[in-house]
Amino acid sequence: MLRKFFLIGMILLLALTMSTALAQDTTLRYFTFSADPDHLEDLDQIVAAFEEANPGITVEVEHAPFADYFTLLQADVVSGDAPDVFELNYENFVTYAANDTLLDISSYVSADAPYYPRALEAFQYEGAQMALPESFSTVLLFYNADLFDQAGLDYPTDEWTWDDAMTAAQAIRALGSDTWGIFSPVQFWEFYKKAAQNGECQFFNEDMTESTINSEACVQTLDTMMSFINEDVMPSTEELSGVGDSDLFLSGKLGMYVSGIWMFSAFADAPFNWDVQIEPMINQHAHHFFANGVAVSSTTENPEAAAAWAQFLTSSETAASVRLASNWELPALDEPSYFESYLSQTPPANRTAVFQALESPVVPPVIERQAEMQDGVNALITQVADGTLTSQDALDQAKDLIDSLIQ
Amino acid sequence: MRVMVAGDTGWQKWKWVLFFIVPSLAGLLIFILIPILTSVWLSFQDWNLLSPPEFIGLANFQELVNDASFWQALQYTLGYILLYLPAAFVLGLGLALLLNQKLRGVVIVRTATFLPVVASWVVVSLIWKWIFNPQYGLINYGLSLLGISGPAWLFDANTALYALVITSVWKDLGYVAVLYLGGLQSISPIYYEASQIDGASAWQRLWFITLPLLTPTMFFIVIILLINSFQVFDQFWLMPMRDSAADRQVEAIVTAVVKNAFSYNRMGYASAMSMVLFALIFIVTFVQLRLQNRWVHYESE
Amino acid sequence: MRVSSTRTLPQVETEGTQQRHAERRFLRLLAYATMIALVLIMILPFGWMLSTSLKTQQYILRTPPELIPNPLSFESYTQLAERIDMGRTFFNSVFVAVVGTAGQLLVSSMAAYAFARMRWRGRNAIFLLYLATMMVPSVVLVLPQFIIIRLFGWANTYQALIVPGLFNAFGTFLLRQSFLSLPRDFEEAAFIDGANHFTIFWRIILPLSLPALATLTILSFMGSWNAYLWPLFVARNQAVQTLPVALGVLQAGPRALTEWNLVMAGAGISVLPILIVYLFAQKWFVQSVVSNGLKG
Repeated sequence: MLRKFFLIGMILLLALTMSTALAQDTTLRYFTFSADPDHLEDLDQIVAAFEEANPGITVEVEHAPFADYFTLLQADVVSGDAPDVFELNYENFVTYAANDTLLDISSYVSADAPYYPRALEAFQYEGAQMALPESFSTVLLFYNADLFDQAGLDYPTDEWTWDDAMTAAQAIRALGSDTWGIFSPVQFWEFYKKAAQNGECQFFNEDMTESTINSEACVQTLDTMMSFINEDVMPSTEELSGVGDSDLFLSGKLGMYVSGIWMFSAFADAPFNWDVQIEPMINQHAHHFFANGVAVSSTTENPEAAAAWAQFLTSSETAASVRLASNWELPALDEPSYFESYLSQTPPANRTAVFQALESPVVPPVIERQAEMQDGVNALITQVADGTLTSQDALDQAKDLIDSLIQ
Repeated sequence: MRVMVAGDTGWQKWKWVLFFIVPSLAGLLIFILIPILTSVWLSFQDWNLLSPPEFIGLANFQELVNDASFWQALQYTLGYILLYLPAAFVLGLGLALLLNQKLRGVVIVRTATFLPVVASWVVVSLIWKWIFNPQYGLINYGLSLLGISGPAWLFDANTALYALVITSVWKDLGYVAVLYLGGLQSISPIYYEASQIDGASAWQRLWFITLPLLTPTMFFIVIILLINSFQVFDQFWLMPMRDSAADRQVEAIVTAVVKNAFSYNRMGYASAMSMVLFALIFIVTFVQLRLQNRWVHYESE
Repeated sequence: MRVSSTRTLPQVETEGTQQRHAERRFLRLLAYATMIALVLIMILPFGWMLSTSLKTQQYILRTPPELIPNPLSFESYTQLAERIDMGRTFFNSVFVAVVGTAGQLLVSSMAAYAFARMRWRGRNAIFLLYLATMMVPSVVLVLPQFIIIRLFGWANTYQALIVPGLFNAFGTFLLRQSFLSLPRDFEEAAFIDGANHFTIFWRIILPLSLPALATLTILSFMGSWNAYLWPLFVARNQAVQTLPVALGVLQAGPRALTEWNLVMAGAGISVLPILIVYLFAQKWFVQSVVSNGLKG
């Protein structure tokens, strides 16, 4: 009787000690989110090319979906086991750099690496190169060419202002009660970009001690954004009623849509003709510059190898061509020849708009308590969109919030 | 008088007690108690996970007292409990009594009611967000047939709570019923046989036999439901419609904890919040434990 | 406690009996009506999930949502099989859930016995401690637990997935309540016959508690099967990855489009095994408490 019990206990114990522990090795660990889930094989291609060119170094890839990535990365850093090389998006870069988790790789980067200067700058901290720009994406104006034809309008040009957009939107809206003119969401990310288009609205004062988000220029910017809802050419959250904005565009019921270039493949099979154009301006052009970077951990045991991998991944021709061939974001490189194949794909036809947008890049305002600022300001701005707060009130409250976060 | 057995006292007894309890207790200590104590320690620190923690005494708790969003989260959590718990408790019992019968097809019903329990909240929230959609959803469509104009459900901060409770009860009903069934099946049929001889009706059987003998299970369920619903998370995280008033305002305590811990990198503050939550749950449970002598009937004592 | 009578009384048709028959018929009807309504309410929402899994990517986005997929396509299932190593992932999930459930049953029932059937100093205080551990949100414990696992060198192993879950106080609480509801008579007789605690535990208490054990089996299996956060931290390697984590990669980030048909297909697949476990375990609910009778 007791024997049976011990037998079961032993079996359990045996089962527990079964393990598939990884062999301890001194190769490089690379942690990524952007390869997840569609581009793991593409990444393997790049890894293989690197390993061939650098015998003696092996790269082990770990990956996680974006939503969980930073939690896992932090857990690794906390438990003293950070990956040798890992990805960071721009918003999180400052926090990691400020907390001594990144290695200064200024000395490892070759001077003739073909990065976009602005992109390289974005990943510097206190004058030192703390990460290398891996890829970038931006936001453009998508438009439904068929609806424009129906309304007898000319397609958007690269000199449009938001007034031009309003005119077009009103014409398209008049086509039917379930057809909308434009969608440019009223939220945090759009706001800081429109603020840059305004040119006079700044989030902070010169020495970052106070927020100036409630200035007159900023209130004007927010009002411009709201005008589209107020003129009934853009659906409010309740009018959208849970339908995703990209779904609305895909259903052919939206004339213009401000969205990211990552949607190119999603819209490829849309049952209507569409194209892109750079965004209209307020006083000047400004476009989102979303960037991912690759950093080396400050606790790595193989800084040279790690930096070599980081550079290869971000700037080698192999890496660039693999990325472009598989629509896996755009390398942040100043090499027009690499992009020929990308530019010749359609839709959309006007892919040069992507690079035009790069000429007026705007990065998000970043502070240490980034997520709290984003959430808080976004909550206030969406209240304006819902009509429960005036622009002035919302931005006044935003100023108080940001001030409390930066002290 | 309780029968005394050789080896029932002193070291002999303790040998047995240890034998039975040490595996569980040791594991609890290592994998749960130590992490809890770590969390307690963290609640007095300021820690952004990337740099070493910094001792700040009671500052987190002071901030918590003045944090309007925390009090709002507490309000919503309590509101959720007040609506959800009685519904789950009573309806779960009704379902269990039904499923305990020898009726044809009861296995199908049992499995069907367990299906929502087994599905992940990710999927369930997607489905019910559509059902509650003010314009396209089933519920408002049904209401419109009755001439009622349905509310904005998951867009509106007030009605969102009701949508969350309804979805939660739908999902957990099978779970509560399973817990009840375990208890129902433990009631010896002897009692029922005897009552039949005495000519008792179904209602009398329920009231005088089933319920009293079910009280240990009911006590267990009340405690579990309380502990779980104070820590409600998934539905509050997943269901309010993005960028709506509900999304901005409707929060539970644990969603606030997760946000602070993993999005805002404020591990110390999140730990402090968890400590307050723990204290709340502990007090409520302790009260229940004290009260159990009044209504719970254990056969063995 | 009364001893059951071995004689049965002859059935006498009285007015009371007739009334009870009518009452029973009415209740029966009510029961069947409720059952049908219940099945519909519980299952219909999943009809939408199924239909989404049978759509192709672009048709998911048609709004308002259509219930019948047109065209019908199984491509989400084939794509899922290509993306994720279903065989390995499934095996991992099953292995972890089975071993974890067996372990939890053993550990929890032993502790429950100590709490319910033995008297010792400090028993109530320690039980309160068990309860208290359930009152801390598990999210805050993940990080310290992760560090402990790393200290043991258990990262990316089956142990990391199985062992911490064995000590969840819920199982102990559930079984303690069940054990408490059993009368003492059997034990006392067994003690007189010279049995020790273990024999009583193994031969009397456990067999009498099959419904509660069945409940715990289901819930423990389900908890292990659906666990996401913990396996995400400790089992990232393909060799030990479990199903929810593997399916989690389908949820694209903010700058990409989620393929909902694949997500729904994955959800459907992950639901099936637990339902099967439930179908088997719920047979034990029907097991009536067999009265062994009192010896002698």
